[in-house]
Amino acid sequence: MPPPSDTSTPCLAAGCRWGGTERDRVILYPEGAIKLQGTGRQVLERCDGRRTFGEIIQELQKEFGKTDPDKIRADISMFLEQLHKRRIVDY
Amino acid sequence: MMLSNPLAVIAEITHRCPLHCVYCSNPTQLASVDSELSTSEWNDVFQQCGKLGMLHAHFTGGEPLARRDLVELVSAARGAGLYTNLITAGIGLTEMRLQALVDAGLDHIQISFQDSHEDVANWIAGAKAHAHKIELSHAIRKHKIAFTVNLVVHRQNLDHLDEMIGFIEQLSPDRVEIAHTQYYGWALANRAALMPTPAQVERAVAIVAETEKRLAGRMRIDSVVPDYYAKFPKACMGGWGRKLMLINPSGKVLPCHAAEVLSGMSFENVREKNLCWIWQDSPSFRRFRGEDWMPEPCRGCERRSEDFGGCRCQAFLLAGDATATDPACSLAPAHEAVTAAIHAASFQVGATIPTASSFVQLQKANQNFWRYRTNPE
Repeated sequence: MPPPSDTSTPCLAAGCRWGGTERDRVILYPEGAIKLQGTGRQVLERCDGRRTFGEIIQELQKEFGKTDPDKIRADISMFLEQLHKRRIVDY
Repeated sequence: MMLSNPLAVIAEITHRCPLHCVYCSNPTQLASVDSELSTSEWNDVFQQCGKLGMLHAHFTGGEPLARRDLVELVSAARGAGLYTNLITAGIGLTEMRLQALVDAGLDHIQISFQDSHEDVANWIAGAKAHAHKIELSHAIRKHKIAFTVNLVVHRQNLDHLDEMIGFIEQLSPDRVEIAHTQYYGWALANRAALMPTPAQVERAVAIVAETEKRLAGRMRIDSVVPDYYAKFPKACMGGWGRKLMLINPSGKVLPCHAAEVLSGMSFENVREKNLCWIWQDSPSFRRFRGEDWMPEPCRGCERRSEDFGGCRCQAFLLAGDATATDPACSLAPAHEAVTAAIHAASFQVGATIPTASSFVQLQKANQNFWRYRTNPE
C-alpha cells in the first residue's frame, strides 16, 4: 500500500473513533485502543477527512518550526501508513 | 504490584441462541432465561464499567439479538463511554434493527461463519443460518461501522481453509479472525470430532501467513493458534483477572468464559457486589493473580510473566487441578493429556454430512459423532 499523497484526505477508518478522557485520549478500534500523546495526537486530530495530507503537513511544519520540514513529512507519512495497515486510518 | 483497570467487559447478555454450534464457548450448564439481568441492571453494570476505566463492551451470548432490549443495552454501554461490539449470528437482525443499533452507537459488528459451503456450515451450526449471514454481511457494509468476520476452524473444515478465506474476502470485512477451536464447554465434549491433525495445522499456519501478507492494508487478519499444538501455553485472557471481566446472563462475574467449571470456586454477582470491589478485592479475581499460586515448573520459568502459567480451566479440565501448569505447555507434568488427545483424534472416522429436515433429525443422525449445543431452560 503506497503512502498518502498530498491530495489524499486521511480520516479514521470505519469503526475507529476517539475515546478516553481529555487528558488520556485514545483511539478506539475493534479489539483494541491506542493511547495518543504528543505529535501522534496532533496528527490524528487533523485527520478529519477534510484536510488534505498536504495541509496537515504544512500545519505541523509551522507548529514545529525548528525541525527539518522533510523529516516531519517523512515521519507523519510513515505514521499514517502504519495506521492504514492496521485499518485504523483511511486515505 | 499496582493493579491496573480492566480493559473490557464481555457481556454475555443471554444464553438463548437459535444456533447449536458444536464448538460453542458457552458452558454446558447454561444460565436460565428467568435469571437474566434486566435492562436497568445492565444499564447500571455499564455505568460501573465506564467508571472502572474500561474501554470496550463486547455483546455476546448465546445470541444477543434474542434480547429484545438490545438497542437500549448498546445505547447504555455507549452512553457509559464504551466502544460497543456486537458478536452475532445475525438471526433476528433486519435492516431496520441494524439501523437502530447503528443509531444507538454500535461501533463494530462481528459475524461468525461456520464454513464457505452452505451445507457444511448449517451442519456445524445445527441451523439454516448461512444464507442469512451472507445477506446480512452486505447490509452491514452499507453502514460506517467496523465489520469483522470470524471463522472457527477445526478438523471438519480445515481442509478447505483457502476456499473459506476466498469466500470471506468477497464479504469485504475490515478484519478477519481465524480462530482454531478452543476446547472448553461444548467443544471439549466434541473434541474427538473437532481436533485437527498435525498436517492440517501445519498447512493452516502457512495459509494464514500467506493471507496476512497478501491482504495487508486491506483486511486485518487476527489468528488464534491451536494451543494443543503449541510449545507453550496461551496467556489465557491476558492473564487471570488482569484485563477482562465476563458477566454472564444472570450477573455472575467471571475472569473468562469457562471459569464456572472450576469446582470449589465461587464467583460474585453484580446483583450483590459492585464491579470495582469484584475486580480489586474479590477472592475469585485474586485467586490466580500474580505468581504466588504457581507450581513448578512455572514458578522458576522465565516465561511466567508472559503466559502466566497458561489457562486455569484447561489445567482443571485436563489435569484435574486448577493450580497445575496448563497441560498445553510442553513442560507441564500433565502434557501427556494433550498429546494423547491429538493422537486419539488421528484415528477418528470421518463424518458424513446427513441431510436432515429438522434440528431433531439432525441431532439424531449425528448423535454418535457430536453433541449439538442445546438451549437453556
